[in-house]
Amino acid sequence: MRPRLAIFDFTDCEGCEVALVSLREKLLELTDQVEVVNWRLAQKKADDGPYDIVIIEGTPVTQEEINTLRFLRDQTKVLVGLGSCATLGGIPGIIDKEKRSFWYKKIYGKDYKPRGIDALPLTAYVTVDYSLHGCPVDKKELVRIFEELLVGKAPKGKSYSVCFECNLAGNRCRLLDRKICLGPITQGGCGAVCISGGLTCFGCFGLREEAQIENLLETIYKFSDSKEVERYFSTFLKKTPEYARIFKETKKTNGKS
Amino acid sequence: MEKAEFITKIEGHGSLHFNWGKNKVWLEVAEGERLFEGMVVGRPAEDLYWITPRICGVCPIAHNLAAIKAVEDALNIKPGKSTILLRKLLLDAQMIQSHTLHLYFLAAPDYLGLDSGLEIIKTHPVYFQQALELKRISDLLADKIGGRGIHPMATAAGGFRKVPSIETLKMLKKEAVKMLLAAQGTFNLFSSLVYPEVSVNLNLFSLTNGKTYDVYDAKYISSNKKLKVRSENYQDIIEEKIKDYSTAKFGYHKKKGMMVGSLARLNLQGNLLKGEAKKLFKEALVDFKNPYHNNLAQAIETYHFAAEANEILDILIQTGIDSEATSLPKDLKPGKNSVGVGALEAPRGGLYYEVRLNTKGLITRCNIVTPTVQNLSSIEETAQIVLDQNRGQSKERIQDLLEMLVRAYDPCITCSVH
Repeated sequence: MRPRLAIFDFTDCEGCEVALVSLREKLLELTDQVEVVNWRLAQKKADDGPYDIVIIEGTPVTQEEINTLRFLRDQTKVLVGLGSCATLGGIPGIIDKEKRSFWYKKIYGKDYKPRGIDALPLTAYVTVDYSLHGCPVDKKELVRIFEELLVGKAPKGKSYSVCFECNLAGNRCRLLDRKICLGPITQGGCGAVCISGGLTCFGCFGLREEAQIENLLETIYKFSDSKEVERYFSTFLKKTPEYARIFKETKKTNGKS
Repeated sequence: MEKAEFITKIEGHGSLHFNWGKNKVWLEVAEGERLFEGMVVGRPAEDLYWITPRICGVCPIAHNLAAIKAVEDALNIKPGKSTILLRKLLLDAQMIQSHTLHLYFLAAPDYLGLDSGLEIIKTHPVYFQQALELKRISDLLADKIGGRGIHPMATAAGGFRKVPSIETLKMLKKEAVKMLLAAQGTFNLFSSLVYPEVSVNLNLFSLTNGKTYDVYDAKYISSNKKLKVRSENYQDIIEEKIKDYSTAKFGYHKKKGMMVGSLARLNLQGNLLKGEAKKLFKEALVDFKNPYHNNLAQAIETYHFAAEANEILDILIQTGIDSEATSLPKDLKPGKNSVGVGALEAPRGGLYYEVRLNTKGLITRCNIVTPTVQNLSSIEETAQIVLDQNRGQSKERIQDLLEMLVRAYDPCITCSVH
């Protein structure tokens, strides 16, 4: 029997599912090895669980989504978070819970009854077996994780940082040019695509294991201020414990002094 | 507990609800509120076009470019010729990416009697090869010009952070030429399908420049009811309404539903098509009162955008990309508080960005109106008409017809809740 696979999405842009479709022939090869029993974006067939593998894209923002997430956790052996919205809180996480009601009023008017609660990663509610980071996910990583799951392996993230791949790509180190970059503390796997494209690294692949955050901050603070640094950290990493530690605590100390 | 049931094969979470006794249908949108217009406030201008493409993974390039246009408008930055050509090429790629995904993966199964777009490989391998070819090459174009297939990073206010080399442009041209055959095949397929019949007095809107079939250079909002207004006055034309059953706003014009996207563009600019695309348009006999024909319109457009991509590549190869394209402004700070509007045609229709910047270059206000916000009103109205015109049919048949109708509009619910 082929493993029963289901793909679900919560509030998000669906770009990681588009990345999945962009695998083209490879996607068919992969989906041939499983039975896709539920995938709203692609098919009408929508079987109930139990499932062997559930892939979830997006951030659970509404109570209904949070309930569905908990329900799906009970229905599946393996649960994979697809993309930074699911794995980190990512872009939706830029909005703080306390600020939501202000923006509901501003955007939807005072009579509107909001449904959203907060934008947190899946791990805020359930145990996740593997987090496939990225905004969007990298196609090669997508294939690797898929293949490892299919042979029953527990996939692991890259142990090296974006710097390793950035070096291989032949880019000049942005820090040397006194430009902020989160590459040194960010998990590799993206191929340093943003830096190669002329941008910087905002850390959408999540923090690598044993990330030397303090060392990086020491370097960055030589040429930049905390407001600018916070902007970088708050793009994809705002809902991580590290963000809370670095910025909320600094703010407190600043407030006292 | 049960999982919610949403319409399948559309982007995002929407569902049709019926009151069969009263013969009423309405469209609920259940995506969580995303608050992008709040998210960017307090952040620097360049974050606008980095963050807001995440509104939509299907049309991120359209969001990226509309946001850039708004920032440029606020700062009075005038991009050079090469930059505009590269952006138009990128937007062509976006259109083909999005139309191909929708036509083959989401819409075609309805007409070929399949459950999933993935099944086409077995049932219709030739069509499937066409889809793969269009997807592969449009992704490649987006990748080489924008830096990545989804969520571009090479684009910026004033130009590009990186531009492709002449060798890359030549390679792209060799590939892009193959899209024409696949696009012709796509037209053959979608002009051979039997679309459900319905006759609706649609209010069609498109951004136009009046001279060419253009999706980037959006000077006016035009309608099939003889409207022509400058695009920066979009708020006079589109009135957004809040509904208690939807986390997306519904856009109306003078209290009536608006349809935007391929069918509307063909209606308002179709006579400006050139060459083969013009022939296909003439041949297709598009019915502008039948929203199901939006699929046919997308197929015609796919050919047009493929042809335009080839033309632009020819020009770029011949003239080269001037260095102006990569000389970006030093900072994005206006001399005084400034407002900018950026508009363009996204795959699903008119997309509007308005941004206010303070002298530090920080965003103090942002307003975004997406195509699907406009289409939701028309979808709901047309669904009611289809329901009325099909009285006596079984509930299952009506539900199928209405789901197909929603799909034909190619709604992007994720965009509508932004």
